[in-house]
Amino acid sequence: MTGDTKYEVFARKSEGDDTLHIGNVSAKSDRLAKMYAHNTFDEEDWNYLAVVRQEDLLEVQPQAMRHGVSADE
Amino acid sequence: MSDWPDEAVDYVQAVADTKLVLGHRCAQWSLAGPSLEDDIGGSSAAQEEVGHVRQLFRKLEGQGRDGDWLRGERDPEEFSNAACLDAIDGEWPDFVATIAPADRAAWYMLDAVDRDDMDGMITKIGEDEYFHLEYHDARLETLAAEQPDGLQATLEETIPAALALIGPASYDDESDPLVDAGFTSVPVASIRERFADHYRDLFADTDVSLSGVDWSTPDADEWDETRRRIGSGGIGEEDLIQIRGERNAMFATE
Repeated sequence: MTGDTKYEVFARKSEGDDTLHIGNVSAKSDRLAKMYAHNTFDEEDWNYLAVVRQEDLLEVQPQAMRHGVSADE
Repeated sequence: MSDWPDEAVDYVQAVADTKLVLGHRCAQWSLAGPSLEDDIGGSSAAQEEVGHVRQLFRKLEGQGRDGDWLRGERDPEEFSNAACLDAIDGEWPDFVATIAPADRAAWYMLDAVDRDDMDGMITKIGEDEYFHLEYHDARLETLAAEQPDGLQATLEETIPAALALIGPASYDDESDPLVDAGFTSVPVASIRERFADHYRDLFADTDVSLSGVDWSTPDADEWDETRRRIGSGGIGEEDLIQIRGERNAMFATE
């Protein structure tokens, strides 16, 4: 628990709104990352606020998809 | 005139004074954290503590306490803050290990108050305190992994001071005067148990041992029931000047 992990921060103002990416924080634990996000991005009374470890974000690659799936995959 | 028992006024005064000094300490240390996020958290907590103090002072004025006296026109020995907050020597981890037990103790005491005219205020304060206490615990966990010996040494001093703020273990269901008066619904003995269980659980799987903490303090015979501590002492003269805002008097608005 000595190194910092990067987290992306997501939020929405009201239920039904789109959840938007609003920034990021670096923290030594998931618990600390949630508190950092709460304190750092408290300019709004968020209806929903979440953090995701940057390493857990799964990138979707549309370019690769357009090639389709070959018969032997 | 007060419609609260004298002990209740002193009890709320101790919570308010602890929050006053907590806010002062958070502001003092808000540029000393290891990251910008820690500094932002400290500044935010300082503002919220001062907000809580304003509300609690209003209640205390309603019980006959003088407003100027409450806001700092008094000697350090007239403040009833948790003794560990009198001065914080050391580095930022010592600051965290000092404010965390004091903040938790003050919240548990306030949460025990059972008065309809305090309910709304206490609920609102509780919303802020959730984030304060969660942040403290998250930070104590990281510090327990990084600097267990230093953290343990500080907690051995600050936890007993927080226990003295809560009160003696002899105040149980039958003997707690504020439970008897109907001002609180949770006796001091139960608050102490909840407080101790919390920290024992928090550090259970870490290298921090709380076996050296004096969990029995304060002895009821030695306890100052007004200031809710053992012995004398108090905040420093410079703290008092800053809390009074003496140097900023020219900027004050009525």
